[in-house]
Amino acid sequence: MKAWLAILAAVVLLPVFVRHAIATEIWIFAIFGLGLNLLMGYTGLLSFGQATFFGSAAYVAGYLLKYYGINLFLALGIGVLVGAVSAAVVGYLCVQRSGLYFIMLTFALNQMFFFTAYQWTTVTGGEDGMPGIPRPTVLGLDIHGPLAYYATVAGLFLVSLWVMKRIVESPLGKILQAIRENEPRAEALGYDVSRMKLVAFVVGGAFSGLAGVLYAMLFGIVPLEAIGFVFSGNVVFATLIGGSGSLYGPVIGSFVFIWLSESVSAMWARWPLLLGVAFVIVVLFFRGGVVEAWARFWAWRAARRAPAGARVDAPR
Amino acid sequence: MPLVRTERLTKAFGALTAVNEVTLEIEEGSLHAVIGPNGAGKTTFFNLLTGQHAPTSGRIIFDGRDIAGTPPHRIAHLGIARSFQRTSIFPVLSILDNVWLAAFARQESWRGLAWRRADRYPELTRRALDVLGEVGLGEKAGLPAREISHGEQRQLELAIALAAAPRLLLLDEPAAGLSPDETQRMVTLVRRLKGRYTVVLIEHKIDVVMSMSDRISVMHFGSLIAEGTPDEIRRNAEVRRAYLGGIAAP
Repeated sequence: MKAWLAILAAVVLLPVFVRHAIATEIWIFAIFGLGLNLLMGYTGLLSFGQATFFGSAAYVAGYLLKYYGINLFLALGIGVLVGAVSAAVVGYLCVQRSGLYFIMLTFALNQMFFFTAYQWTTVTGGEDGMPGIPRPTVLGLDIHGPLAYYATVAGLFLVSLWVMKRIVESPLGKILQAIRENEPRAEALGYDVSRMKLVAFVVGGAFSGLAGVLYAMLFGIVPLEAIGFVFSGNVVFATLIGGSGSLYGPVIGSFVFIWLSESVSAMWARWPLLLGVAFVIVVLFFRGGVVEAWARFWAWRAARRAPAGARVDAPR
Repeated sequence: MPLVRTERLTKAFGALTAVNEVTLEIEEGSLHAVIGPNGAGKTTFFNLLTGQHAPTSGRIIFDGRDIAGTPPHRIAHLGIARSFQRTSIFPVLSILDNVWLAAFARQESWRGLAWRRADRYPELTRRALDVLGEVGLGEKAGLPAREISHGEQRQLELAIALAAAPRLLLLDEPAAGLSPDETQRMVTLVRRLKGRYTVVLIEHKIDVVMSMSDRISVMHFGSLIAEGTPDEIRRNAEVRRAYLGGIAAP
Protein backbone atom coordinates (compact mmCIF):
# COMPACT_ATOMS: atom_id res chain seq x y z
CA MET A 1 0.00 0.00 0.00
CA LYS A 2 2.78 2.43 0.96
CA ALA A 3 4.60 1.59 -2.24
CA TRP A 4 1.51 2.37 -4.30
CA LEU A 5 1.05 5.71 -2.55
CA ALA A 6 4.67 6.57 -3.26
CA ILE A 7 4.26 5.63 -6.91
CA LEU A 8 1.03 7.63 -7.24
CA ALA A 9 2.78 10.62 -5.71
CA ALA A 10 5.66 10.15 -8.17
CA VAL A 11 3.23 9.96 -11.08
CA VAL A 12 1.62 13.25 -10.04
CA LEU A 13 4.78 15.12 -9.09
CA LEU A 14 7.21 13.95 -11.75
CA PRO A 15 5.98 16.25 -14.56
CA VAL A 16 6.29 19.20 -12.18
CA PHE A 17 10.00 18.65 -11.74
CA VAL A 18 11.25 17.13 -14.97
CA ARG A 19 10.52 17.76 -18.63
CA HIS A 20 7.37 16.01 -19.77
CA ALA A 21 9.13 13.96 -22.39
CA ILE A 22 11.59 12.63 -19.81
CA ALA A 23 8.87 11.96 -17.28
CA THR A 24 6.93 10.05 -19.94
CA GLU A 25 10.01 8.09 -20.95
CA ILE A 26 10.58 7.04 -17.36
CA TRP A 27 7.24 5.26 -17.16
CA ILE A 28 7.64 3.74 -20.62
CA PHE A 29 11.01 2.36 -19.65
CA ALA A 30 9.51 1.13 -16.39
CA ILE A 31 6.92 -0.92 -18.34
CA PHE A 32 9.78 -2.32 -20.42
CA GLY A 33 11.64 -3.18 -17.21
CA LEU A 34 8.61 -4.89 -15.66
CA GLY A 35 8.57 -7.31 -18.58
CA LEU A 36 12.26 -8.08 -18.32
CA ASN A 37 12.05 -8.48 -14.57
CA LEU A 38 9.57 -11.33 -14.89
CA LEU A 39 12.21 -13.15 -16.93
CA MET A 40 15.40 -12.03 -15.21
CA GLY A 41 14.29 -11.40 -11.65
CA TYR A 42 11.59 -14.01 -11.15
CA THR A 43 12.49 -16.81 -13.55
CA GLY A 44 16.25 -16.31 -13.48
CA LEU A 45 16.54 -16.00 -17.25
CA LEU A 46 18.91 -13.25 -18.29
CA SER A 47 17.44 -12.15 -21.60
CA PHE A 48 19.84 -9.93 -23.45
CA GLY A 49 17.43 -9.40 -26.32
CA GLN A 50 14.40 -7.58 -24.96
CA ALA A 51 14.76 -4.85 -27.60
CA THR A 52 13.68 -7.45 -30.15
CA PHE A 53 10.14 -7.32 -28.80
CA PHE A 54 10.23 -3.60 -28.00
CA GLY A 55 11.48 -2.67 -31.46
CA SER A 56 9.31 -5.10 -33.43
CA ALA A 57 6.19 -3.76 -31.75
CA ALA A 58 7.31 -0.17 -32.30
CA TYR A 59 7.92 -0.79 -36.01
CA VAL A 60 4.71 -2.71 -36.72
CA ALA A 61 2.39 -0.45 -34.73
CA GLY A 62 4.28 2.64 -35.91
CA TYR A 63 3.88 1.59 -39.52
CA LEU A 64 0.15 1.05 -39.13
CA LEU A 65 -0.25 4.32 -37.26
CA LYS A 66 1.63 6.18 -39.93
CA TYR A 67 0.13 4.71 -43.08
CA TYR A 68 -3.26 3.42 -41.97
CA GLY A 69 -4.12 5.84 -39.19
CA ILE A 70 -5.29 3.13 -36.81
CA ASN A 71 -6.74 4.23 -33.49
CA LEU A 72 -4.91 4.21 -30.18
CA PHE A 73 -6.47 1.05 -28.75
CA LEU A 74 -5.72 -0.89 -31.89
CA ALA A 75 -2.15 0.44 -31.88
CA LEU A 76 -1.62 -0.59 -28.25
CA GLY A 77 -3.28 -3.95 -28.84
CA ILE A 78 -1.11 -4.62 -31.88
CA GLY A 79 1.98 -3.57 -29.92
CA VAL A 80 1.19 -6.02 -27.14
CA LEU A 81 0.40 -8.75 -29.67
CA VAL A 82 3.56 -8.24 -31.73
CA GLY A 83 5.62 -8.16 -28.54
CA ALA A 84 4.05 -11.40 -27.32
CA VAL A 85 4.29 -13.23 -30.67
CA SER A 86 7.89 -12.23 -31.34
CA ALA A 87 8.73 -13.27 -27.77
CA ALA A 88 7.00 -16.61 -28.34
CA VAL A 89 9.16 -17.27 -31.40
CA VAL A 90 12.42 -16.12 -29.80
CA GLY A 91 11.55 -17.72 -26.47
CA TYR A 92 10.74 -21.06 -28.06
CA LEU A 93 14.24 -21.22 -29.49
CA CYS A 94 15.99 -19.86 -26.39
CA VAL A 95 14.42 -22.05 -23.69
CA GLN A 96 15.93 -25.11 -25.36
CA ARG A 97 19.24 -24.05 -23.82
CA SER A 98 20.30 -22.69 -20.47
CA GLY A 99 23.02 -20.58 -18.90
CA LEU A 100 25.50 -18.89 -21.18
CA TYR A 101 24.05 -20.45 -24.32
CA PHE A 102 20.64 -19.11 -23.44
CA ILE A 103 21.99 -15.58 -23.03
CA MET A 104 23.93 -15.76 -26.29
CA LEU A 105 20.84 -17.01 -28.14
CA THR A 106 18.74 -14.07 -26.95
CA PHE A 107 21.55 -11.77 -28.03
CA ALA A 108 22.10 -13.40 -31.42
CA LEU A 109 18.39 -13.38 -32.26
CA ASN A 110 18.25 -9.72 -31.25
CA GLN A 111 21.05 -9.05 -33.73
CA MET A 112 19.11 -10.84 -36.46
CA PHE A 113 16.09 -8.64 -35.87
CA PHE A 114 18.34 -5.60 -35.74
CA PHE A 115 19.96 -6.28 -39.09
CA THR A 116 16.63 -7.05 -40.67
CA ALA A 117 15.41 -3.63 -39.59
CA TYR A 118 18.69 -2.09 -40.69
CA GLN A 119 18.48 -3.57 -44.19
CA TRP A 120 14.77 -3.29 -44.80
CA THR A 121 14.97 0.42 -45.44
CA THR A 122 11.77 0.69 -47.50
CA VAL A 123 9.75 -0.12 -44.41
CA THR A 124 11.86 0.75 -41.40
CA GLY A 125 13.90 3.61 -42.86
CA GLY A 126 17.07 1.77 -41.86
CA GLU A 127 19.55 3.98 -40.09
CA ASP A 128 17.31 7.03 -40.40
CA GLY A 129 14.55 5.39 -38.42
CA MET A 130 10.84 5.53 -39.14
CA PRO A 131 9.67 9.11 -38.61
CA GLY A 132 6.24 10.70 -38.75
CA ILE A 133 4.38 8.53 -36.25
CA PRO A 134 1.25 10.31 -35.05
CA ARG A 135 -0.47 10.20 -31.68
CA PRO A 136 -4.05 9.36 -32.58
CA THR A 137 -7.04 10.98 -30.92
CA VAL A 138 -8.73 8.70 -28.44
CA LEU A 139 -12.48 8.85 -27.65
CA GLY A 140 -12.52 12.48 -28.68
CA LEU A 141 -9.64 13.28 -26.34
CA ASP A 142 -6.59 14.93 -27.76
CA ILE A 143 -3.38 13.35 -26.47
CA HIS A 144 -1.07 15.45 -28.63
CA GLY A 145 -0.08 17.75 -25.80
CA PRO A 146 2.91 16.59 -23.75
CA LEU A 147 0.96 16.55 -20.50
CA ALA A 148 -2.01 14.72 -21.99
CA TYR A 149 0.32 12.09 -23.42
CA TYR A 150 2.13 11.88 -20.11
CA ALA A 151 -1.16 11.18 -18.36
CA THR A 152 -2.00 8.45 -20.90
CA VAL A 153 1.34 6.74 -20.44
CA ALA A 154 1.29 7.10 -16.66
CA GLY A 155 -2.18 5.55 -16.58
CA LEU A 156 -1.04 2.64 -18.72
CA PHE A 157 2.00 2.21 -16.51
CA LEU A 158 -0.18 1.95 -13.41
CA VAL A 159 -2.34 -0.66 -15.13
CA SER A 160 0.79 -2.57 -16.20
CA LEU A 161 2.19 -2.48 -12.69
CA TRP A 162 -1.07 -3.78 -11.27
CA VAL A 163 -1.23 -6.59 -13.84
CA MET A 164 2.37 -7.55 -13.09
CA LYS A 165 1.62 -7.52 -9.37
CA ARG A 166 -1.23 -9.95 -9.94
CA ILE A 167 0.98 -12.20 -12.04
CA VAL A 168 3.87 -12.40 -9.57
CA GLU A 169 1.49 -13.06 -6.69
CA SER A 170 -0.33 -15.79 -8.61
CA PRO A 171 0.64 -19.46 -8.68
CA LEU A 172 2.50 -18.73 -11.92
CA GLY A 173 4.68 -16.18 -10.10
CA LYS A 174 5.57 -18.79 -7.50
CA ILE A 175 6.23 -21.46 -10.11
CA LEU A 176 8.61 -19.15 -11.99
CA GLN A 177 10.50 -18.41 -8.78
CA ALA A 178 10.63 -22.11 -8.05
CA ILE A 179 12.21 -22.65 -11.48
CA ARG A 180 14.75 -19.94 -10.72
CA GLU A 181 15.58 -21.53 -7.37
CA ASN A 182 15.73 -25.17 -8.35
CA GLU A 183 14.84 -26.24 -11.84
CA PRO A 184 15.08 -30.05 -11.44
CA ARG A 185 12.90 -29.93 -8.33
CA ALA A 186 10.26 -27.82 -10.09
CA GLU A 187 10.26 -30.38 -12.90
CA ALA A 188 9.97 -33.26 -10.43
CA LEU A 189 6.95 -31.59 -8.83
CA GLY A 190 5.16 -31.73 -12.17
CA TYR A 191 5.86 -28.38 -13.78
CA ASP A 192 6.77 -28.33 -17.45
CA VAL A 193 9.76 -26.05 -17.02
CA SER A 194 10.26 -25.21 -20.70
CA ARG A 195 6.64 -24.28 -21.15
CA MET A 196 6.62 -22.13 -18.02
CA LYS A 197 9.73 -20.31 -19.21
CA LEU A 198 8.02 -19.73 -22.54
CA VAL A 199 5.01 -18.26 -20.74
CA ALA A 200 7.34 -15.88 -18.91
CA PHE A 201 8.83 -14.91 -22.26
CA VAL A 202 5.46 -14.21 -23.84
CA VAL A 203 4.22 -12.14 -20.90
CA GLY A 204 7.51 -10.23 -20.76
CA GLY A 205 7.32 -9.70 -24.52
CA ALA A 206 3.80 -8.29 -24.25
CA PHE A 207 4.99 -5.71 -21.74
CA SER A 208 7.96 -4.85 -23.96
CA GLY A 209 5.62 -4.47 -26.92
CA LEU A 210 3.39 -2.05 -25.07
CA ALA A 211 6.43 0.00 -24.08
CA GLY A 212 7.64 -0.04 -27.68
CA VAL A 213 4.46 1.46 -29.11
CA LEU A 214 4.32 4.13 -26.42
CA TYR A 215 7.94 4.97 -27.15
CA ALA A 216 7.26 5.36 -30.87
CA MET A 217 4.35 7.70 -30.18
CA LEU A 218 6.33 9.67 -27.61
CA PHE A 219 9.09 10.69 -30.01
CA GLY A 220 7.10 10.38 -33.22
CA ILE A 221 9.81 8.13 -34.61
CA VAL A 222 11.12 4.61 -34.28
CA PRO A 223 14.88 5.03 -34.22
CA LEU A 224 16.97 2.04 -35.31
CA GLU A 225 18.41 1.89 -31.77
CA ALA A 226 14.98 0.86 -30.47
CA ILE A 227 15.68 -2.67 -31.72
CA GLY A 228 19.43 -2.66 -31.02
CA PHE A 229 21.36 -4.61 -28.40
CA VAL A 230 22.38 -1.43 -26.55
CA PHE A 231 18.73 -0.92 -25.78
CA SER A 232 18.50 -4.52 -24.57
CA GLY A 233 21.49 -3.89 -22.35
CA ASN A 234 20.07 -0.66 -20.98
CA VAL A 235 16.94 -2.31 -19.66
CA VAL A 236 19.04 -5.03 -18.01
CA PHE A 237 21.20 -2.31 -16.43
CA ALA A 238 18.24 -0.30 -15.23
CA THR A 239 16.51 -3.33 -13.75
CA LEU A 240 19.64 -4.50 -11.94
CA ILE A 241 20.26 -1.05 -10.50
CA GLY A 242 16.69 -0.80 -9.27
CA GLY A 243 16.59 -4.33 -7.95
CA SER A 244 15.74 -7.41 -9.98
CA GLY A 245 13.38 -9.92 -8.47
CA SER A 246 11.33 -7.35 -6.61
CA LEU A 247 8.19 -5.95 -8.17
CA TYR A 248 9.15 -2.27 -7.82
CA GLY A 249 12.84 -2.70 -8.66
CA PRO A 250 12.56 -2.00 -12.39
CA VAL A 251 10.40 1.06 -11.70
CA ILE A 252 13.07 2.60 -9.49
CA GLY A 253 15.75 1.48 -11.91
CA SER A 254 14.00 3.14 -14.81
CA PHE A 255 13.77 6.36 -12.85
CA VAL A 256 17.47 6.33 -11.97
CA PHE A 257 18.54 5.31 -15.45
CA ILE A 258 16.44 7.72 -17.51
CA TRP A 259 16.92 10.58 -15.12
CA LEU A 260 20.68 10.10 -15.14
CA SER A 261 20.88 9.69 -18.87
CA GLU A 262 18.65 12.65 -19.70
CA SER A 263 19.53 15.16 -16.99
CA VAL A 264 23.17 14.50 -16.34
CA SER A 265 24.01 13.95 -19.98
CA ALA A 266 23.04 17.56 -20.70
CA MET A 267 25.70 18.74 -18.27
CA TRP A 268 28.35 16.14 -18.75
CA ALA A 269 28.92 14.16 -21.90
CA ARG A 270 30.71 11.36 -20.03
CA TRP A 271 27.64 10.43 -18.02
CA PRO A 272 27.83 6.71 -18.83
CA LEU A 273 30.82 6.73 -16.48
CA LEU A 274 28.44 7.52 -13.61
CA LEU A 275 26.22 4.71 -14.72
CA GLY A 276 29.19 2.38 -14.74
CA VAL A 277 30.11 3.37 -11.20
CA ALA A 278 26.54 2.87 -10.04
CA PHE A 279 26.51 -0.53 -11.69
CA VAL A 280 29.77 -1.63 -10.06
CA ILE A 281 28.51 -0.55 -6.64
CA VAL A 282 25.30 -2.48 -7.13
CA VAL A 283 27.03 -5.64 -8.29
CA LEU A 284 29.62 -5.56 -5.50
CA PHE A 285 27.55 -4.45 -2.54
CA PHE A 286 23.84 -4.46 -3.28
CA ARG A 287 22.93 -7.39 -5.43
CA GLY A 288 19.28 -6.53 -4.87
CA GLY A 289 19.79 -3.00 -6.21
CA VAL A 290 18.25 0.14 -4.78
CA VAL A 291 15.41 -1.88 -3.26
CA GLU A 292 17.84 -3.92 -1.18
CA ALA A 293 19.93 -0.87 -0.24
CA TRP A 294 16.77 0.81 0.96
CA ALA A 295 15.66 -2.17 3.05
CA ARG A 296 19.11 -2.48 4.60
CA PHE A 297 19.21 1.21 5.42
CA TRP A 298 15.96 0.92 7.38
CA ALA A 299 17.05 -2.25 9.11
CA TRP A 300 20.27 -0.48 10.11
CA ARG A 301 18.35 2.54 11.46
CA ALA A 302 16.01 0.35 13.41
CA ALA A 303 18.99 -1.50 14.88
CA ARG A 304 20.63 1.77 15.92
CA ARG A 305 17.50 3.02 17.58
CA ALA A 306 16.89 -0.17 19.51
CA PRO A 307 18.13 -0.02 23.12
CA ALA A 308 21.73 -1.15 23.39
CA GLY A 309 20.82 -4.41 25.16
CA ALA A 310 18.30 -5.46 22.57
CA ARG A 311 20.41 -4.43 19.62
CA VAL A 312 20.42 -6.85 16.76
CA ASP A 313 22.95 -6.88 13.98
CA ALA A 314 21.90 -5.33 10.72
CA PRO A 315 21.62 -7.93 7.95
CA ARG A 316 24.96 -8.56 6.30
CA MET B 1 -1.58 -56.75 -9.04
CA PRO B 2 1.55 -54.79 -8.17
CA LEU B 3 1.42 -50.98 -8.44
CA VAL B 4 4.79 -50.90 -10.16
CA ARG B 5 6.67 -53.54 -12.04
CA THR B 6 10.02 -53.06 -13.71
CA GLU B 7 11.04 -55.57 -16.36
CA ARG B 8 14.73 -56.06 -17.09
CA LEU B 9 15.24 -52.36 -16.48
CA THR B 10 18.69 -51.26 -17.58
CA LYS B 11 20.58 -47.97 -17.63
CA ALA B 12 24.08 -47.70 -19.01
CA PHE B 13 26.26 -44.61 -18.89
CA GLY B 14 28.83 -45.43 -21.55
CA ALA B 15 30.72 -48.48 -20.34
CA LEU B 16 29.18 -48.34 -16.87
CA THR B 17 25.94 -50.22 -16.39
CA ALA B 18 24.44 -48.45 -13.39
CA VAL B 19 21.25 -50.46 -13.38
CA ASN B 20 21.43 -53.93 -14.86
CA GLU B 21 18.28 -55.83 -15.84
CA VAL B 22 16.38 -55.11 -12.66
CA THR B 23 13.05 -56.87 -12.46
CA LEU B 24 11.08 -55.84 -9.41
CA GLU B 25 7.51 -55.63 -8.19
CA ILE B 26 6.15 -53.17 -5.65
CA GLU B 27 2.86 -54.16 -4.03
CA GLU B 28 0.29 -51.45 -3.46
CA GLY B 29 0.30 -50.26 0.13
CA SER B 30 3.62 -51.86 1.03
CA LEU B 31 6.83 -50.35 2.30
CA HIS B 32 9.54 -51.69 0.08
CA ALA B 33 13.16 -50.94 0.88
CA VAL B 34 15.98 -50.93 -1.64
CA ILE B 35 19.37 -51.35 0.00
CA GLY B 36 22.89 -51.80 -1.24
CA PRO B 37 26.36 -50.34 -0.88
CA ASN B 38 27.33 -46.98 -2.33
CA GLY B 39 27.27 -46.98 -6.12
CA ALA B 40 24.96 -49.99 -6.29
CA GLY B 41 22.61 -48.07 -8.60
CA LYS B 42 19.82 -47.33 -6.13
CA THR B 43 19.47 -43.63 -6.92
CA THR B 44 19.79 -44.28 -10.65
CA PHE B 45 16.97 -46.78 -10.27
CA PHE B 46 14.85 -44.00 -8.73
CA ASN B 47 15.85 -41.59 -11.47
CA LEU B 48 14.53 -44.10 -13.99
CA LEU B 49 11.22 -44.44 -12.15
CA THR B 50 10.74 -40.66 -12.00
CA GLY B 51 11.89 -39.94 -15.54
CA GLN B 52 15.09 -38.05 -14.72
CA HIS B 53 16.84 -40.62 -16.87
CA ALA B 54 15.43 -42.55 -19.79
CA PRO B 55 16.23 -46.26 -19.51
CA THR B 56 18.62 -47.86 -21.98
CA SER B 57 16.28 -50.83 -22.16
CA GLY B 58 13.52 -52.49 -20.23
CA ARG B 59 10.07 -51.45 -19.14
CA ILE B 60 8.47 -49.70 -16.16
CA ILE B 61 4.83 -50.61 -15.75
CA PHE B 62 3.02 -48.25 -13.41
CA ASP B 63 -0.63 -48.98 -12.83
CA GLY B 64 -0.84 -51.00 -16.03
CA ARG B 65 0.97 -48.67 -18.41
CA ASP B 66 4.54 -48.41 -19.57
CA ILE B 67 6.00 -45.13 -18.38
CA ALA B 68 9.65 -45.70 -19.36
CA GLY B 69 11.11 -42.53 -20.91
CA THR B 70 8.21 -40.26 -19.93
CA PRO B 71 9.51 -36.81 -18.86
CA PRO B 72 9.57 -36.08 -15.09
CA HIS B 73 6.78 -33.51 -15.05
CA ARG B 74 4.36 -35.97 -16.68
CA ILE B 75 5.35 -38.74 -14.30
CA ALA B 76 4.66 -36.42 -11.38
CA HIS B 77 1.12 -36.00 -12.68
CA LEU B 78 0.62 -39.75 -12.68
CA GLY B 79 1.13 -39.66 -8.94
CA ILE B 80 4.76 -40.58 -8.42
CA ALA B 81 6.53 -38.24 -5.99
CA ARG B 82 10.04 -38.42 -4.66
CA SER B 83 12.40 -36.97 -2.14
CA PHE B 84 16.03 -36.43 -2.98
CA GLN B 85 19.11 -37.81 -1.29
CA ARG B 86 20.76 -34.40 -1.48
CA THR B 87 18.24 -31.91 -0.14
CA SER B 88 16.46 -30.29 -3.06
CA ILE B 89 14.24 -27.43 -1.97
CA PHE B 90 13.51 -23.84 -3.00
CA PRO B 91 15.80 -21.97 -0.59
CA VAL B 92 14.46 -18.43 -0.95
CA LEU B 93 10.78 -19.34 -0.89
CA SER B 94 8.93 -19.81 2.37
CA ILE B 95 8.54 -23.30 3.78
CA LEU B 96 4.81 -23.04 3.16
CA ASP B 97 5.38 -22.09 -0.50
CA ASN B 98 7.77 -25.01 -0.94
CA VAL B 99 5.02 -27.41 0.05
CA TRP B 100 2.20 -25.41 -1.51
CA LEU B 101 3.88 -25.64 -4.93
CA ALA B 102 3.92 -29.41 -4.65
CA ALA B 103 0.22 -29.45 -3.81
CA PHE B 104 -0.67 -27.02 -6.60
CA ALA B 105 1.15 -29.05 -9.24
CA ARG B 106 -1.16 -32.01 -8.62
CA GLN B 107 -4.38 -30.01 -9.05
CA GLU B 108 -6.69 -31.38 -11.71
CA SER B 109 -7.09 -27.93 -13.21
CA TRP B 110 -4.77 -24.99 -12.95
CA ARG B 111 -7.57 -22.43 -12.85
CA GLY B 112 -6.42 -18.94 -11.99
CA LEU B 113 -2.83 -19.91 -12.79
CA ALA B 114 -1.64 -16.42 -13.71
CA TRP B 115 -4.28 -14.31 -12.05
CA ARG B 116 -5.68 -15.60 -8.77
CA ARG B 117 -3.52 -14.73 -5.77
CA ALA B 118 -1.67 -17.78 -4.55
CA ASP B 119 -2.96 -17.26 -1.02
CA ARG B 120 -6.54 -17.53 -2.26
CA TYR B 121 -6.48 -21.30 -2.54
CA PRO B 122 -7.67 -22.13 0.95
CA GLU B 123 -7.93 -25.89 0.44
CA LEU B 124 -4.37 -26.11 -0.92
CA THR B 125 -2.96 -23.94 1.84
CA ARG B 126 -4.71 -26.10 4.41
CA ARG B 127 -3.32 -29.26 2.87
CA ALA B 128 0.16 -27.77 2.81
CA LEU B 129 -0.12 -26.76 6.47
CA ASP B 130 -1.44 -30.22 7.37
CA VAL B 131 1.56 -31.86 5.77
CA LEU B 132 3.93 -29.44 7.48
CA GLY B 133 2.25 -30.23 10.78
CA GLU B 134 2.70 -33.92 10.13
CA VAL B 135 6.46 -33.62 9.65
CA GLY B 136 6.74 -31.19 12.54
CA LEU B 137 7.35 -27.94 10.70
CA GLY B 138 3.95 -26.33 11.26
CA GLU B 139 5.39 -23.60 13.46
CA LYS B 140 7.96 -22.56 10.89
CA ALA B 141 5.73 -22.33 7.81
CA GLY B 142 6.51 -18.65 7.22
CA LEU B 143 10.30 -18.91 7.33
CA PRO B 144 12.43 -19.00 4.19
CA ALA B 145 13.51 -22.58 3.60
CA ARG B 146 17.21 -21.71 3.67
CA GLU B 147 16.96 -20.52 7.27
CA ILE B 148 16.18 -23.84 8.92
CA SER B 149 18.62 -26.53 10.00
CA HIS B 150 19.74 -29.41 7.83
CA GLY B 151 17.59 -31.81 9.81
CA GLU B 152 14.53 -29.63 9.32
CA GLN B 153 15.31 -29.32 5.62
CA ARG B 154 15.22 -33.12 5.43
CA GLN B 155 11.77 -32.98 7.03
CA LEU B 156 10.75 -30.34 4.48
CA GLU B 157 12.07 -32.57 1.71
CA LEU B 158 9.71 -35.29 2.91
CA ALA B 159 6.83 -32.81 3.24
CA ILE B 160 7.25 -31.67 -0.37
CA ALA B 161 6.93 -35.26 -1.53
CA LEU B 162 3.90 -35.91 0.69
CA ALA B 163 2.07 -32.74 -0.37
CA ALA B 164 1.74 -34.15 -3.87
CA ALA B 165 -0.61 -36.78 -2.40
CA PRO B 166 1.31 -39.47 -4.29
CA ARG B 167 0.17 -42.95 -5.20
CA LEU B 168 3.79 -43.99 -5.13
CA LEU B 169 6.24 -42.32 -2.78
CA LEU B 170 9.95 -42.70 -3.46
CA LEU B 171 12.18 -41.74 -0.56
CA ASP B 172 15.87 -41.49 -1.33
CA GLU B 173 17.78 -41.82 1.94
CA PRO B 174 15.54 -39.54 3.97
CA ALA B 175 17.93 -39.81 6.91
CA ALA B 176 21.04 -38.84 4.91
CA GLY B 177 23.38 -36.73 6.99
CA LEU B 178 21.17 -36.73 10.08
CA SER B 179 22.34 -37.06 13.68
CA PRO B 180 21.19 -40.17 15.63
CA ASP B 181 18.41 -38.14 17.27
CA GLU B 182 17.21 -36.69 14.01
CA THR B 183 17.43 -40.11 12.38
CA GLN B 184 15.17 -41.50 15.07
CA ARG B 185 12.63 -38.76 14.41
CA MET B 186 12.79 -39.41 10.65
CA VAL B 187 12.31 -43.14 11.20
CA THR B 188 9.21 -42.39 13.25
CA LEU B 189 7.90 -40.16 10.48
CA VAL B 190 8.45 -42.75 7.77
CA ARG B 191 6.99 -45.51 9.93
CA ARG B 192 3.81 -43.44 10.26
CA LEU B 193 3.47 -43.36 6.45
CA LYS B 194 3.30 -47.15 6.37
CA GLY B 195 -0.05 -48.39 5.14
CA ARG B 196 -1.18 -44.95 3.97
CA TYR B 197 1.17 -44.75 1.01
CA THR B 198 2.98 -47.16 -1.23
CA VAL B 199 6.55 -46.37 -0.28
CA VAL B 200 9.84 -47.30 -1.86
CA LEU B 201 12.66 -46.45 0.50
CA ILE B 202 16.33 -46.27 -0.34
CA GLU B 203 18.30 -46.48 2.83
CA HIS B 204 21.87 -46.92 3.84
CA LYS B 205 21.33 -47.57 7.52
CA ILE B 206 20.45 -51.22 7.46
CA ASP B 207 18.95 -51.42 10.94
CA VAL B 208 16.41 -48.77 9.91
CA VAL B 209 14.97 -50.81 7.05
CA MET B 210 15.11 -54.17 8.81
CA SER B 211 12.62 -53.05 11.42
CA MET B 212 10.03 -51.36 9.24
CA SER B 213 10.03 -52.80 5.73
CA ASP B 214 7.57 -55.29 4.31
CA ARG B 215 10.01 -56.34 1.65
CA ILE B 216 13.63 -55.60 0.93
CA SER B 217 15.49 -55.66 -2.38
CA VAL B 218 19.25 -55.71 -2.35
CA MET B 219 21.24 -54.14 -5.17
CA HIS B 220 24.90 -54.70 -5.83
CA PHE B 221 26.85 -53.30 -8.81
CA GLY B 222 23.61 -52.42 -10.57
CA SER B 223 22.02 -55.84 -10.25
CA LEU B 224 19.39 -57.18 -7.92
CA ILE B 225 21.04 -59.90 -5.87
CA ALA B 226 18.27 -60.71 -3.43
CA GLU B 227 14.70 -59.94 -2.55
CA GLY B 228 12.52 -60.94 0.30
CA THR B 229 11.19 -60.19 3.75
CA PRO B 230 13.59 -58.67 6.29
CA ASP B 231 14.11 -62.10 7.86
CA GLU B 232 14.93 -63.76 4.57
CA ILE B 233 17.38 -60.99 3.75
CA ARG B 234 19.04 -61.33 7.12
CA ARG B 235 19.63 -65.02 6.48
CA ASN B 236 20.74 -64.66 2.86
CA ALA B 237 24.38 -65.62 2.58
CA GLU B 238 25.05 -63.73 -0.63
CA VAL B 239 23.69 -60.52 0.88
CA ARG B 240 25.89 -60.92 3.90
CA ARG B 241 28.94 -61.36 1.72
CA ALA B 242 28.17 -58.45 -0.58
CA TYR B 243 26.78 -55.94 1.78
CA LEU B 244 26.29 -56.66 5.41
CA GLY B 245 29.80 -57.88 5.94
CA GLY B 246 28.86 -58.99 9.40
CA ILE B 247 28.25 -55.47 10.65
CA ALA B 248 24.53 -55.80 11.06
CA ALA B 249 24.52 -59.52 11.73
CA PRO B 250 22.50 -60.26 14.82
